[in-house]
Amino acid sequence: MTRYRAAPAATLRIVPLDVLTLVYHRASGITHVVDSPVPELLEVLGEKPLTLDETLAALAAAHDLIDPDREALAARLDELVAAGLVEAV
Amino acid sequence: MGDDNSEDGVPHAGKAERPSRRALMLGAASASAIVSIKPALAQTAGSVLNCEIPVPDPGRAGSYIDANGKVVPPGTKGAFPPAVRPFRGEEVKKAMNGANLPGTTYDQSRAYTNYIRRLQRGTSGFTCFASLQMPRG
Amino acid sequence: MRHSTMLRIGPVGFRVGSDWRAPVALLDELYRDYPQPQDGIPDFNVRLFAARFWRRWLRPSVQIGGDFVIPDAAPLPLAQGLLAAEMAMNLQMALGQRRYLLLHASAVERDGKALLMTGESGAGKSTLAALLMTRGWRLMGDEFALLDPATGMIHGFPRLISLKNEAIGVMEHEAKGGRWGPLLEGTPKGTIRHLVPDARSIAAMELPAAPALMLFPSFGFEAAEREVFPSECFVRLTQASTNYVTLGESGFDALTGLVRGVPARAIDYPDTKTAIATVERLWSELA
Repeated sequence: MTRYRAAPAATLRIVPLDVLTLVYHRASGITHVVDSPVPELLEVLGEKPLTLDETLAALAAAHDLIDPDREALAARLDELVAAGLVEAV
Repeated sequence: MGDDNSEDGVPHAGKAERPSRRALMLGAASASAIVSIKPALAQTAGSVLNCEIPVPDPGRAGSYIDANGKVVPPGTKGAFPPAVRPFRGEEVKKAMNGANLPGTTYDQSRAYTNYIRRLQRGTSGFTCFASLQMPRG
Repeated sequence: MRHSTMLRIGPVGFRVGSDWRAPVALLDELYRDYPQPQDGIPDFNVRLFAARFWRRWLRPSVQIGGDFVIPDAAPLPLAQGLLAAEMAMNLQMALGQRRYLLLHASAVERDGKALLMTGESGAGKSTLAALLMTRGWRLMGDEFALLDPATGMIHGFPRLISLKNEAIGVMEHEAKGGRWGPLLEGTPKGTIRHLVPDARSIAAMELPAAPALMLFPSFGFEAAEREVFPSECFVRLTQASTNYVTLGESGFDALTGLVRGVPARAIDYPDTKTAIATVERLWSELA
């Protein structure tokens, strides 16, 4: 069962701007410009690794999740993994 | 806000028990939520050879090109018909160094390269041509 | 190299070597009021050379070399040697600058505060900066502004102002008593003529200024303006910077500080009169 974990907090410099948030990933030197729900996901995945369903549940608990769709969340997580901000373990 | 908490956990009348949760959307599966900043020049160098320049731009499709690279009405004496297909950045670069654009005679090629040199911002192919010039901007 | 010269533009010193006398003579004349590199040590070297030995005399063409080069750069005819020298210095900045975050923006200064104007080629940022210079602003630069990551201040890079095509006529009219380089026709960017920044701008070139307003100008449209939010500013500025990525986290900090601290507007204008009026109004409202 795949679990997802955010990059270590010490490697992420997160600066919210307005609608978008900036994430400087120290490990790669890459700057990412991100939209919701990325900052929320990075927060929820910052402690221990979670499965897709656990992530969905954690998001729904912390926020008023308007569209709790598994497929959409999977797409977001894939994007985060591709960007190097989240690890699939 | 500390004094709002009552010992037995009963919410104080008129005050929220905990901060209201923010609304959150996951977005469509096909949408993207991340844009990564890539090194600008590296991007330019990589894309230069693959970009395309139509002659003339699609907004003036059908018009002819005179020897100086100006766009003129179709059939103008001494002018050349539009290029059969857009030229790639790589081909244009070689043409700037003296080669002929593929599929063209010497005069036709000179006319087309003059057209490309004259490209103004907003016309199709301008960004490709601009990226061929050094330095950027 | 038989001919050479040195000069300093803002905080950056250059040494320029050339196989021909003409480009060096032009640099010496147009940059005559500029200082030498600090302590006589240049930061970048530039070489203007003939690719094949016969190219020194036969349809002479200038290849650009230096500390930093890009491959397959097309040579320029000797008549455009000054342009080759300017492009070569730009290239050193674009590829080699590490001390300052490079912003592809023009900049002018008033009361110790800097106005930054950025946008695509042809949008009008160089011409606007030159016009503002003739209206009492200090010109900090027409192409590059340097952001110091350590202080957040803007440092000028007041090279020769590069005016293209129609803008040449406009500025010949506006800059009475201006010193000009030769008219260069048939360059890769059309017709170009260089205008020397005024005495005041050259004299003050070492003084940094605090960024106070950012504009994204677009020439040739009905007058309009809109607020540009920090995230859009940020992305557009990274696209306008050649060394953002190389500067790593300090570049990130410098740029986020800039976009969070400085108001920004996109302005469309049909003519120079409208442009100047809009700039003055926004400066008094926001800077």
